[in-house]
Amino acid sequence: MGVPREKIDWCPTIDYGKCDFCMECDNFCPHRVFERREGEEKKLVVAHPENCVVFCRACAKTCGPDALSFPDKKETTAAIKRMREEAGGDEG
Amino acid sequence: MKGKSRGKVILPCNGLDKEAGTLAREMALKLAEEGAELVCPVLFQRNPARYKKELGTGELLVIDGCKTGCASKLAKDKGLKIAGRLNVTEMLKEMGIRGGKKPVPDPEHLSRLLAALGGPGEEEAEGAEEVPSGLFTAHVEMNEFMEGKFFFKVPKAGYFFNENDCWARVEGTRARLGVSDYVQQSASDMVFFEPPEIGKELEQFDDAGSLESTKTALDIISPVSGKVVAVNGELVDAPELINQDPYISAWAVEVEMADFEGDRELLMDCEAYLAYLKEKVRKENQERFG
Repeated sequence: MGVPREKIDWCPTIDYGKCDFCMECDNFCPHRVFERREGEEKKLVVAHPENCVVFCRACAKTCGPDALSFPDKKETTAAIKRMREEAGGDEG
Repeated sequence: MKGKSRGKVILPCNGLDKEAGTLAREMALKLAEEGAELVCPVLFQRNPARYKKELGTGELLVIDGCKTGCASKLAKDKGLKIAGRLNVTEMLKEMGIRGGKKPVPDPEHLSRLLAALGGPGEEEAEGAEEVPSGLFTAHVEMNEFMEGKFFFKVPKAGYFFNENDCWARVEGTRARLGVSDYVQQSASDMVFFEPPEIGKELEQFDDAGSLESTKTALDIISPVSGKVVAVNGELVDAPELINQDPYISAWAVEVEMADFEGDRELLMDCEAYLAYLKEKVRKENQERFG
């Protein structure tokens, strides 16, 4: 993307009002974005947002209770383009 | 009506968790009245041989109740070839209906679903084979590299990639979209391609259809914005084309592009993707084997 990954706001958000901790998303995601927390109230957290592949929303499709959401794609795209322009400006 | 669904084999959701499941079950029963064969998911799980004959001869339609997709997952686990798929929760959502939490089917919801079934749903897949001629016929030269015991191919020119390993093959204002060799190797055998609707307007990085392999499920994330003008009917019939020929015959969708110059800013050309992929598989190998 030409922008450091940590500057891009893209990862799932868990709605704990809906999540039933079935762990389907964590079983699915090969990028270790989620982390299980045994014995805690929130048994699953988004521990490594920087591992999430920008614009991938595949884990949300595995979520029966519809508890995962992502940032607005259009806004993220615009923000990436903006950051690229700013970086380009610095170099020039 | 009777006989309309002959030759179809229906694998529905077990239908005992939420309303959507019970609706999936009711829809399956209705299709059975029209001549389809039913596969009981519980019995099939226990004794797949029971349905060997039906599954060997008919086209498999999977009806999932909710996004958990138990019926699809069962089909995938058993290596079945899925010819079509419905998801009750998604169908209801399109009608502005939210399914109930209790496993009781609402008769009105059922009749609306059945009406939708008789309507455009199945025609779409048939009409999906419209393919404009004249474009995308040129020979494509490939670069190859090896990492560990795997060979990877990347076209030499004419393709643009996003970091989701999806490509756009661009000619004039048209682009064909697909997934890269890396996707097919890591996802393994493709068993299902669900195309988007023709006419759908895509923003850059929108879903342009979804794929399922024996190992995983993934979306085709469109590198470009534009309007879907055709989908590859051959790929619907034979998703394994992705494993055989990911860059040419396994195109998934053709779009009339809206703003390629703007989209291009966030894409890699063939050379950049080759370098990106080399680095990616090198890192993956390192993590795996130390």
